[in-house]
Amino acid sequence: MPTAFPAGSSPAGSSSAGALDLSAYRLAAEPYYRPVGDEIAVFEAAWRHRLPVMLKGPTGCGKTRFVEHMAWRLGRPLITVAAHEDMTAADLAGRFLLTPEGTVWHDGPLTQAVRHGAICYLDEIVEARQDTTVVIHPLTDARRMLPLEKRNELVAAHADFHLVISYNPGYQSAVKDLKESTKQRFIAIDFDYPAPALEAEIVMREAGADAALARTLVAIAACSRNLRGHGLDEGASTRMLIHAGRLAAGGVSLEAAVQAGIVLPITDDADMRRALSAAISACFA
Amino acid sequence: MSGAVALAPPALARLTRLMGGRENLAASFADTCRRLAARHGEAALEPWAGGALALVEVNAGAGALLAFWRASLELSGRLSPAALGETGHAAAALCREAGGRATLAALDAFVEIAPRLAGPAERTLFWRALLALAQAAPDGVALVAAQARRLVRPGHVAAFEGFVAAGLKAAGRDRARQRAFFALEDPLALGLLARIGAGPGFAELETDLCRVLAALWGTPPPLQPLPPGGEAPRRVNIAGPVVRLPEVFPGVAGEAARALYRAAALHAGAHLHFGNPRFPIGKFKPVQMALAGIVEDARVETLAMARYPGLRRLWAPYHVASSADGPTVASLLARLARGLFDPAYRDPDALVGKGQELFAAARGRIDDPALSLAIGTRLANDIGQRRLRFDARGHVVEPAYRDDGLGLWDFSDIAPEAADEVELMVEAARLERREGGDGPPDAAPSPEPAGRARPRPAGETGAVIATYPEWDAAAGIERPDWTSIRAVMPAAGDTGGLRHALERAGPVRARIARLVKAARVGRAARLKRQAEGHDLDLDAAIEAAIARRAGEVPDLRVFRSTALSQRDLAVLVLIDMSQSTRARLADGAGVLDVEKLAVAMLAEALAALGDAFALIAFASSGRGDVRVCEVKGFDAPYDTAAAACLAGLSSGLSTRLGAGLRHAGAQIARVRAFRKLILVLTDGEPSDIDASGEDLVQDARRVVLQLRSQGIDTFGVTLDPAGVGSGPAIFGKANSMPVRRVEELPARLSELYFRLARR
Repeated sequence: MPTAFPAGSSPAGSSSAGALDLSAYRLAAEPYYRPVGDEIAVFEAAWRHRLPVMLKGPTGCGKTRFVEHMAWRLGRPLITVAAHEDMTAADLAGRFLLTPEGTVWHDGPLTQAVRHGAICYLDEIVEARQDTTVVIHPLTDARRMLPLEKRNELVAAHADFHLVISYNPGYQSAVKDLKESTKQRFIAIDFDYPAPALEAEIVMREAGADAALARTLVAIAACSRNLRGHGLDEGASTRMLIHAGRLAAGGVSLEAAVQAGIVLPITDDADMRRALSAAISACFA
Repeated sequence: MSGAVALAPPALARLTRLMGGRENLAASFADTCRRLAARHGEAALEPWAGGALALVEVNAGAGALLAFWRASLELSGRLSPAALGETGHAAAALCREAGGRATLAALDAFVEIAPRLAGPAERTLFWRALLALAQAAPDGVALVAAQARRLVRPGHVAAFEGFVAAGLKAAGRDRARQRAFFALEDPLALGLLARIGAGPGFAELETDLCRVLAALWGTPPPLQPLPPGGEAPRRVNIAGPVVRLPEVFPGVAGEAARALYRAAALHAGAHLHFGNPRFPIGKFKPVQMALAGIVEDARVETLAMARYPGLRRLWAPYHVASSADGPTVASLLARLARGLFDPAYRDPDALVGKGQELFAAARGRIDDPALSLAIGTRLANDIGQRRLRFDARGHVVEPAYRDDGLGLWDFSDIAPEAADEVELMVEAARLERREGGDGPPDAAPSPEPAGRARPRPAGETGAVIATYPEWDAAAGIERPDWTSIRAVMPAAGDTGGLRHALERAGPVRARIARLVKAARVGRAARLKRQAEGHDLDLDAAIEAAIARRAGEVPDLRVFRSTALSQRDLAVLVLIDMSQSTRARLADGAGVLDVEKLAVAMLAEALAALGDAFALIAFASSGRGDVRVCEVKGFDAPYDTAAAACLAGLSSGLSTRLGAGLRHAGAQIARVRAFRKLILVLTDGEPSDIDASGEDLVQDARRVVLQLRSQGIDTFGVTLDPAGVGSGPAIFGKANSMPVRRVEELPARLSELYFRLARR
C-alpha cells in the first residue's frame, strides 16, 4: 500500500491553500497525557496513512485529552465539534450567509479542517442524527473528499486532514448506535480507566493532589466502578477524580470533596448514594 | 359507654351492694375502694365502678375481679379512674369471648406492660388486639398474656397487633398450630417476635448490603436470611460462597442496625475475599476452633483494613470488651478479639498480650491462613493449662458483627474422639442448615392464602397456530416448518399476589410514573421550514433570499418551530416461562414472580402511555410443541383479565428462544407503527429437549438479525447473575442487558423501555 502522505508535512502547506488562519486551533503547550498502552503508536500509524480513528470508551477516561495531545505531538491544528442531536449536515459542512454584498459561503468546521489540513475531532458522534453523520463518509475512504452540494463544489481533503471521532458504547446506545457503514470506516482505539497506579499518577499530576490522596481517590473510583450493574450505569470517571482531587487539594475536606465531586453527580437515587457513601467511607481512615 | 353508666343508678353504690354479698370479694373490694377514694376522691370513682360492674355483669369470676382490683391499685398512680374504667370495660369485652381465666391473665399482663403504653390510643390498641385474638382463638389469650412482656415493646404496640394478626392468619383453624404460635414455639412467631422493636432487618437492607459488598469486594456473594433461633443471639454464618445474615439483630434498631449489618456483611466479605480456608477439623477441640476463629477474624480484618482503612471506623465501635466484664472465658475471648483488632489495647490478662505478640510477629506472613490455626492452637493450649472452662454449647462469637466461624472448618474428616464435643458447638448451626436448605421456610408470612389450588399450568397442549423454520447451524441450512407453535389458553391466576407485589414496589413504581408523565408530554421536536415559528430557519431563509435575487419564487416557509413529538411505537414483551424460572431467590420469591412483577409494572406504564403493546409468554417441549400463551394481544386492553393471565403463568418446560422470537416477530410485523420493539425477558440459555443449546443460540441470533432487517428491534433482558450468559451472543452486546440481580429487574426493565422508546 502506497504511503500517500508525507508524515508531518509543513504547516506552510496549509496556510498557502486558504485564506484562513488556523493558528487559533493550534495547541501551544503540551496537553498532559499519560499513555496507558500502545495508543500513541497506533494513532501515529493511523495518522501516517490518514486512516480515520474512532476512540471508544466510557466518559471521562481521557479520549478528548488524548486527541489534544496527539494534535500537539503531530503539530496539527485541532478542530473539535461536540455533536448534539439538533446538529445538521450544514452545521458541519457550512452554509451560505447573507451579507450586504450578497450571499457568502461560510465553511463549517469540518470543511475548514478538510481544506486547511487540521485534525477534525467529532466528539460523541452518536449524539448526532444518523443522517448527519453520513456527510463524513466520502472523507473516510479512499476518495478523501467532501462534496458541498449547495456550492456545487467537491473539496479534496488537504494532505494533513485527519478525522477522529469518539464514541461511548454501552447499552444506553441501543438506540443511538453508529450505523454499521459508519463504524467500519474507522480504526478503533479502546479506552478504559487506567490501572490504579497509573490513575493515581494522573490524579496527582492533574489535581495537584499528594500521593496518599490520589491513591484514596482511585480506591474510591474502583468501588464505584464495582457498582456498575448494581444500580449505577457508570462508575466514577478519571475526570471526576481529578475534580474531587482539586477540591480536596484546595482545602475542602476529603469527605465533602468526594460527596460534591463524585457521589452527588453520579446518582440521584438516595439508597444508592447511601451505599456508595458507605463504601467510600471505608476507603479512607 | 360511660354515658350509659352515668344514667344508671350510681354505679359505685350498686357495685358496693353487689360486693357486699360476696364473701370472698367484699374485704378486698372495700380496701381497694378506700385506697382509690383516698387518692382520687369518692366522686371520681364512678367511671371506675362502671368498668368493674361491666366485669361483674359478664360473670368474670372472682379471680378476674381480684385481678382488676390489683390492677386498679397498681396503676392508680398512672391511670385515672376513668381510664381504669375503660380497662374494666375492655376486660369485660374480652371476658365475654375468652372467659374469666384469660381475662385474669390479660389484666395481670396489663399491669406489667401498662408503663410501656403511651396514652389511651395505645391502651385501646392492646385490648383491641387481645379481643381480636379472643374472637378467633380464645385459647391464645392466656398464652399471649403470659408473653406480653416480650411482645409489647415501648413504641411498638402496633407491632403487637400485627403479631396477633399474623399468628391468626398463619395458623388458620389449626388449634395446635395456634397454640404453638402464641406460646412462641413456632419459628414464624419467633421471627416476628425478633422483628418487634428491631429493624431495619435483612429484608430491608439486603440491596444496600449487596451494593456495599459489590463496591468493596467486587461481585457480591449471594446473601440469605438466617431465621432467628432460640434465646441465643444469632451470628452471621458463611456456608461456602453464601453469606447468611440474621433476619434481624434483636434489639438493634434504626441507624445502629444499618451499621451493624454493614459491619457484619463487610466482615464476611473480607473472609471470602482474603481466602476462606477450610481447615480440616481432624482432632480439633471447640476451644481451638474458637481461638483459631478469633485469629482468622483478626487476620482478614487486618488485610481488609490495609486496603480500606475506613473499615476500622466501622468495626471499632463493637470492640468494647474490657476486663471489667468479669473473669469468664467468654469475656477473655472477646478481649482477645479486641486486642488483636486494636494493637494499642492493653489487657491485664497475659493471654491477650501473648496473642497480640504472636499476631504481631506473624505480620510478615499475614496472607497465610495457616497462621490463624497455629496461633489459635497455642492460645488454646494456654487456656487448657490454666484449666479455664470453655462452654462449647453456649459459646457465642463476640463482637456481634463477626460470623460464627464455622465456615472455616471442613467437618468431613472429623476424628471420632473429638466428634462429641464439636457436635455441641455446631449443633445449632447444623439445625439451621437443614431447615434453610431450600430457602427460608417460614421466614415471612406467605402472601397467598393457604389452601388455594396452584394455578393450572399453562401446559394443556393447544392447537397448532403456526409453523416456523429453524436454522441448523451445524448443517448450515434453514429447515422449513421445523417448529410448531401451539396456542395455550392462559390460566387465570390470582391477581392478589401480583397486586401485593406491585404495592410493595412503591418507590420504583412512583419513578416509573414520573417517567410516564414526562414521556407522555413528549419531547419537543424541532421542525424546520415552517410557515410560522419562533425563530428563523437560517438555511431556509438564505435559500429564500437567494431565490428572490435569482428571480425565482422564494419558498416563504423560513421559520423554525417546535412541536411535541408523536409517539408511534409498538412493543411486544416476550416472557420466558421455562422451568429455569422456577428458581427461588433469597427472599422466597420465584424468578418468574419477579418477571411477572416487572412485566406488570411495564404494562402499567405502557397502558398509561397509550403505546401499542402485547405480552406473550412461551415455553417449549421439543420442536413440535412450542407453547405460546398470549397474555395480552395488541388489540386487547390491559385490564384485570390480562393481569390475571399474567399472574396465572407458571414455570415449566424449556426455552426454544428462536421459535418464540419468530412468533413474536410475526405478531408485531402485523402492527402498523413507526418503531417496533421486541423486549425478550429470559433468565437463561436457550435449550430444549431435542436440540443443543449452541444450535439454539445460533438460531436465535439468526432470528434477531432477520427481525432487524425487517425494522424490528429486538432487545434481550437476561437474568444473568454471573454475567456469562449468551445474551450478548444472541442480541448483540449493545442490545442485551444482563441483569445481575434479579430483584432489580422490575426497575431496570421499565427504565430500559423508556430509554429505548425515547426516539
